[in-house]
Amino acid sequence: MSKLLALSEAVERYVPDGVGLLAVGGMHLHNNPMALVREVVRQGRGIRRLLTSPCGALNADLLVGAGLVGEITTSYVGFEHLGLAPCFRRALESGTIRILECDEAYITHGLYAGAGGLPFIALPAGLETSDVPKVNKESYAMTTDPFTGSKVLVGAPLTPDVALVHAAMADTRGNAVLAGAHFVDKLMVQAAKTVLLQVERVVSTEEIARHPVGTTIPGFLVHGVVEVAGGCYPTASHGAYDFDEEQIKLYLGMAGNAEGVAEYLGQCVTGVTEEEYLEKASPRLGELRYGDGQKSDARSGRRS
Amino acid sequence: MAATAGAEASVLTWSRSELMAIELAAHLRDDDIAVMGTASALPQVACRLAQLTHAPGLWSIAGGTCSVNPRLSPVVQSCCDFDLLRADTTIPLSDVVLLEGRGDVLTVFFAGGLQIDAYGNCNLVAVGDYAHPALRGPGTVGLPFLSRVGRVLIYTQSHNRRTFVEKVDFLSGPGFLGGPDEWSSAGLSGGGPALVVTPLCTMDFDPQSLRMRLVSVHPGVDIDEVRAATGFDLIIPDQVPVTAAPTSRQLSILRDLDTDGLLKGP
Repeated sequence: MSKLLALSEAVERYVPDGVGLLAVGGMHLHNNPMALVREVVRQGRGIRRLLTSPCGALNADLLVGAGLVGEITTSYVGFEHLGLAPCFRRALESGTIRILECDEAYITHGLYAGAGGLPFIALPAGLETSDVPKVNKESYAMTTDPFTGSKVLVGAPLTPDVALVHAAMADTRGNAVLAGAHFVDKLMVQAAKTVLLQVERVVSTEEIARHPVGTTIPGFLVHGVVEVAGGCYPTASHGAYDFDEEQIKLYLGMAGNAEGVAEYLGQCVTGVTEEEYLEKASPRLGELRYGDGQKSDARSGRRS
Repeated sequence: MAATAGAEASVLTWSRSELMAIELAAHLRDDDIAVMGTASALPQVACRLAQLTHAPGLWSIAGGTCSVNPRLSPVVQSCCDFDLLRADTTIPLSDVVLLEGRGDVLTVFFAGGLQIDAYGNCNLVAVGDYAHPALRGPGTVGLPFLSRVGRVLIYTQSHNRRTFVEKVDFLSGPGFLGGPDEWSSAGLSGGGPALVVTPLCTMDFDPQSLRMRLVSVHPGVDIDEVRAATGFDLIIPDQVPVTAAPTSRQLSILRDLDTDGLLKGP
């Protein structure tokens, strides 16, 4: 049975207002499922707790800026060489959201624990020397290693209620191919109770079956498939197009205060449909498309 | 800002970022397996430069995409860039997290921070009181793994008293912790911080006190400038040489990689 849904229908059906733990895939400015994220903002879905990959970017900052996030479980939200995340930073400096401070090891192993039904997971010795576990008792605890008697740092499993993840292509049953780097997107899919996939294109099951090893997401883990070509914009979609540094800088410039965020949301999210937004972006998307090699022809231009 | 030095002054100029990449490269060894993470264009270039000069056997892992030995032509800013996949191989991020935890495979971990203290502890989380931060940083990502890896090489583009502090407000990347006593009782598997490279100078750590120590000042920088820009009592030996100036061969290789000139800036 087809799991193909319209963008609005997917969010209406599978992302309840007040969702307990919502995971957003992608890492840094790459493979952020922005069409799904924008639709969550359009529908004003409150998020009790947001989970990022080891490094969230626009996917997390936009949801925080829209005022939808109560708590965030993350090890990083920022824009790498382009600077700090303005909404995330403002929200934490003013105390309007709560953070469950994490590190990359816990985000990754915690998802693995969630995916495998492990009640908790032991973490390598030495990680307890950072202050991170000391300020996050909900995710980390010290216990005794039953084999050696030593003290050991452990992490709670991460089991997202809903995961929003981008894939290059999928069939209508949800069998999906992740192109390029996978980050922790597969773990998010495996650990989540409900999975919405945003894909560049929907293909036939025959086409999918030509990639038996590359199809790393089996459809039985997926609940909804949304086809949005260009849907990661202005972040990159590995194998398809690069991120748009100009647009990211525009966001960073506007998101420096609450009024600017509201204006950005009006222009790029709530005041436009996804089709209108991507139609306007289509010339840039054309320029950012990866060529025959992996280097985007637009790279030198976007840095000017 | 370009610097010049010595007999080659009439022909060679370089940016401080180029000098930093070359200086980091000089401290990499042929048998190293190095990993780096967020915003790591500089160490990526350092590793590739080392591979193309004195350390062809070096393995370099760009955490993010987790590409092994990325070709880096052109150099990219993001550690998750699709271009990094032009490499020997790309392994899953979760595999790199396993290797970082294993502790006996990776020999070099590149690190940085909003704050870096006298014992080489790094802070990417918060400046000021954690509950009410004056500056909220992005988060620590993989820096807690510094406790487990052979040598930690620290790099930063900011050498000033806000960055170089006596004690980090939040310890997100372990260096020598609170000093020799705490470090020896912690019994960590990692070797601790080994080197710090900034736009002004190169520093290491005194083997007894485990505090940061000046190794060399970059061409055109004087010791007082470094002292004034450092917010703790930096160990300054009697003799402090000038950092070796880049050679024309190093600059030529580096610029063949960096066709977009990402390191051309200050």
